[in-house]
Amino acid sequence: MILLDIKNMTIELETPEGLIRAVDRINLTIREGEIRGLVGESGSGKSLIAKAIVGVLNKRWHITADRFSWAGQDLLRLSYEEQRKIIGRDIAMIYQEPSRSMDPTAPILEQLIESIPDSELESSWWGRPFERRKKAIALLHKVGIRDHQAIFNSYPYQLPEGVCQKIMIAMAIAKKPKLLIADEPTTALESTTQAQLFRLLASFNQLKGMSILLISHELETVARNTQTLSVLYCGQLVEAGETATILKSPLHPYTDALIKSVPEFQPELISKQPLYALHGSIPTLQHLPIGCRLGPRCPNARKECVKTPVLERLQNHYFSCHFPLQGKKL
Amino acid sequence: MTTPLLEIRQLYKSYQKAQGIFGRKTIQALSDISFSLYPGQTLAIVGETGSGKSTLAKLLVGIEKPDSGEILLEGQAVTISDYKKYNHVIRYIFQDPARSLNPHQKVGQMLDDVLRYSTQLNEEQRQDKIHQTLQQLGLMEEHADYYPHMFSGGQLQRVALARALIMDPKLLILDEALTALDPSLRAQIVNLLLELQKSTGLSYLLITNHLRLVRHISDHMLVLHQGKALDYGQTNEVFSNPQHDYSRKLIKSAQS
Repeated sequence: MILLDIKNMTIELETPEGLIRAVDRINLTIREGEIRGLVGESGSGKSLIAKAIVGVLNKRWHITADRFSWAGQDLLRLSYEEQRKIIGRDIAMIYQEPSRSMDPTAPILEQLIESIPDSELESSWWGRPFERRKKAIALLHKVGIRDHQAIFNSYPYQLPEGVCQKIMIAMAIAKKPKLLIADEPTTALESTTQAQLFRLLASFNQLKGMSILLISHELETVARNTQTLSVLYCGQLVEAGETATILKSPLHPYTDALIKSVPEFQPELISKQPLYALHGSIPTLQHLPIGCRLGPRCPNARKECVKTPVLERLQNHYFSCHFPLQGKKL
Repeated sequence: MTTPLLEIRQLYKSYQKAQGIFGRKTIQALSDISFSLYPGQTLAIVGETGSGKSTLAKLLVGIEKPDSGEILLEGQAVTISDYKKYNHVIRYIFQDPARSLNPHQKVGQMLDDVLRYSTQLNEEQRQDKIHQTLQQLGLMEEHADYYPHMFSGGQLQRVALARALIMDPKLLILDEALTALDPSLRAQIVNLLLELQKSTGLSYLLITNHLRLVRHISDHMLVLHQGKALDYGQTNEVFSNPQHDYSRKLIKSAQS
């Protein structure tokens, strides 16, 4: 079943110079039990998309979409309060810097208890404080923190980043969400803790059938942990499909460059050889090129590229490029 | 063989931490670290947080003084009074360029300050040098009039590199400087670093926990764990045959 189905979502920012289109007609679908990766560089709008899905962007951002449905229910037709209700029930998000997105003035136990919704509790009102505490301990055990006593009365700043991240996950899974959005969950972590965290996420996916949207700028970590992949560049979706297919035969020059820039995917590359890199840098939001936004940096850009390419489909592999790398257009 | 550019012999460093009212607790941040770095080569220092990587870097640039041990620069021992001279040779690049650049200062002014304090160039020469350095790093002359917030992440890292390279150093210490960058920009910066190394014989001391990159760009590597050096040797050898459990775990986590 398709859980989240977004078609042509556009996110615009209100500025004194007019509207800036930060995210340009993105399609995104997430099935039940799927781990989807969302890869893009900074400024590509991946966090924006996550925030738009959860609905935490402020009023300066205008979000429009042709279709935005959750489990078959069209969210766009519902009122804001009803949208919040559904999203708050089913979608959870873990943020980039765990120690900074937790309440610095409250100890961990209080924050964990707060995140357990009433609907998860069974006992009558006088039994609830005990039940909440029990649930909080169980949550911590689930994410692999065994010594809950030591942590309960600590404040976020006293704990290492990896533990904070686990607590964030515990808070996120407290309401048993159907979709977990992980926004760069591992940037702040050590490489050994990173591996642990991905194992944890994978186990939730397998045991509970929880879908995960994994947002990251590291292609190699995403590739290892996801089944499907969407690649963003500057707010445009450049390629989407199954991770293995994309890695094997990328169709968009940007995806190709991303893959080639990672030494791990280039086993025959001799050490100290220059890596493949696109020239130039990511344009800022104020100076976005028209048409295909990769245009100025693309190695095989031509005249046609000033027109925005439409998303095309080759079996289950979507791409938006006038001149795909493998084969001509069908 | 030629004399190493930088040689560290049995370096020790500990910190005193107050405990209770009168008590003191000693934390051994580094013990018995020795290594050498030759011109035109790259040494990677890997380890988790708290392993003493940053302490080591601080000792090398002279922010902190070692308890005992020797730091030899081109065969000569460095004493504390030398540190001023020494910052021409060793330059440091911080983790987060956005936070290590002064937001109130234009990039041109910032580079100018570096030259004014440490060289005897006149104004025109300084301007020339600034433009030349900016161009060397793929920036434009107009960027000298920009404030740091006007740059994107990758460009900021270039600015940070410009600030380091403007003194024509021999050794660059990159403290997690590549980790926060986006992949395509990281590839660019890596290429830039490799190219600079080839053309000017610059040495790098790469402090990171990004092992895949280490494998690609470094000649030697040193694994630090809780202030002790575990594995030290050619990168390929350490990767294929780590001697200690911790290094094995670290290398495995990068490959899984």
